[in-house]
Amino acid sequence: MDVHSALSLALPIGIGIAAIGSGIGLGLIGQGAMQAIGRQPEATAKIQLAMIIIAALAEALTIYAFVTMFLLQGKI
Amino acid sequence: MGLEFLARVRHTSTWLGGVIALVAATYVSPLLGLAFAAGVTWSLVNLQLLERLIVPLTGPARGTPDARRRIGFALLGMLALFAAGAVLLELLSPAALVAGFLLPLAVIAVKALTQALLASPAWRGIVNHRWRAGLAGLALTTATWFALGALTSAGGAPVGRTVVAQSHGGAARGEIHGDETPTEARGNATAEEKGEASESKPQGFANVIGLLTGAFPHATWAHFLEHYEVLVFSLLVALILLVVAHRASRDPQLVPRGLQNGVELVVEGLSSFIISILGPAQGPRFVPFLGTLFIYILAMNLFGLIPFMHSPTASLNVTVALALTVFVYVQFIGFKELGPLGWLDHMLGNPRNLTGWLLAPLMLPIHVLGELAKPISLSCRLFGNIFGEDMLLVAFASLGVTMLPFKHLPFGVPMHALFFPLALLGSVLQALVFTVLSSIYILLMLPHEHHDEHGHEEGAQHAH
Repeated sequence: MDVHSALSLALPIGIGIAAIGSGIGLGLIGQGAMQAIGRQPEATAKIQLAMIIIAALAEALTIYAFVTMFLLQGKI
Repeated sequence: MGLEFLARVRHTSTWLGGVIALVAATYVSPLLGLAFAAGVTWSLVNLQLLERLIVPLTGPARGTPDARRRIGFALLGMLALFAAGAVLLELLSPAALVAGFLLPLAVIAVKALTQALLASPAWRGIVNHRWRAGLAGLALTTATWFALGALTSAGGAPVGRTVVAQSHGGAARGEIHGDETPTEARGNATAEEKGEASESKPQGFANVIGLLTGAFPHATWAHFLEHYEVLVFSLLVALILLVVAHRASRDPQLVPRGLQNGVELVVEGLSSFIISILGPAQGPRFVPFLGTLFIYILAMNLFGLIPFMHSPTASLNVTVALALTVFVYVQFIGFKELGPLGWLDHMLGNPRNLTGWLLAPLMLPIHVLGELAKPISLSCRLFGNIFGEDMLLVAFASLGVTMLPFKHLPFGVPMHALFFPLALLGSVLQALVFTVLSSIYILLMLPHEHHDEHGHEEGAQHAH
């Protein structure tokens, strides 16, 4: 297996694994935020703000994998 | 019939001519599209001047000095128009110019024919009967299908070959190569191979600057524009925002209306949002910086959704510049608010007792790395999201194009329309995230004693 086929196999799989991780993370964040809003509807704005920040951080991990994919795509 | 008919002809010809010129510019050659557009414009101006000439000659106001003045102006305009036509015939392809010139006349003929047909008793006999109308529609569709097949099978390339060329060449141009002859397809593929070899630049939708470079491949200014493409687009966005802001605040009213009202709504919303993060004491100072950041990033993100435009934030250069601005600003705020010693104290993790001082050598690299990681994560997040969005749209647009390869049509199914709401949502969300994270970095740098809202401290800790 040369570099080209290794990369073309590994890049999509890598993105998929990263997406699994941040998907689980986003789901947990959303679950927690929804439960918190359900318990304390008057704190919705604060909870949403914190939720968006943490969601952005969780999502960033996939984005890093995505950027890495684009950096290495030229070598395929 | 009459003037209202002419107005409708103008309207139809403008739209039709624009679409045909764009298709010609994209699929045949940009100069041909330009020539066609020039021909349509020439013809439309000619019709307009004729109307100007005939109305004072035959209308109720004929003979008055005003009407005579109008006739003089119209004649002068005609002279200028014919001179311009001669110049255009010298410069551009005559065939496309004549085709563009004939388009409004064809529109007039078709419209007149349609009106005659709609008034005829045979048409009414067909339309007013359900079964006859259905049969006629079916016959018309079938005839169009076969006519299209007969028209396009003559010059079209073999399907398999174009598909191979497309999948080989990266495909993501959002265009079909279906109506190319085999030699052109091969030339395209080799050109794209060369492009890949020299520089692995992913291809997006065609934009204005790309089309200009294609139209004038030897002009130095076109290469300059192509090289600084991202810069040109971001400056264009800044210019648009400047004009909007200037127009909104030019004549401030106590009771705002129209544009001023909208801009005030945005500014007030942003201001209250940022103050809710940074607190009422510190917040208002940072509203201009953070609010500008939000509006600028949002406008740049959304700019790519306009046809023939390009998102500047889909380039890492722009997002790194934005993130570095935030980084420098945050460090500057830290120096100004805490002083050099206080800043160092912050970097050492605010040691107050023996344990703190023992841990300080460990805390310093952690804090320095944390500060350096902030711009990297900010820029990569924005770039990755916007670029990914654009690539998603391009991928689905090319999928829609390849859905209809058997007819060699120069258009496809707009598959990417489904993802426009997603792109809109993502653009707003990423601008919001960038602003919120920037304000939290500022919040972390500010002296903590002055801060009295503990609810946001927790969010800030998470964000670190």
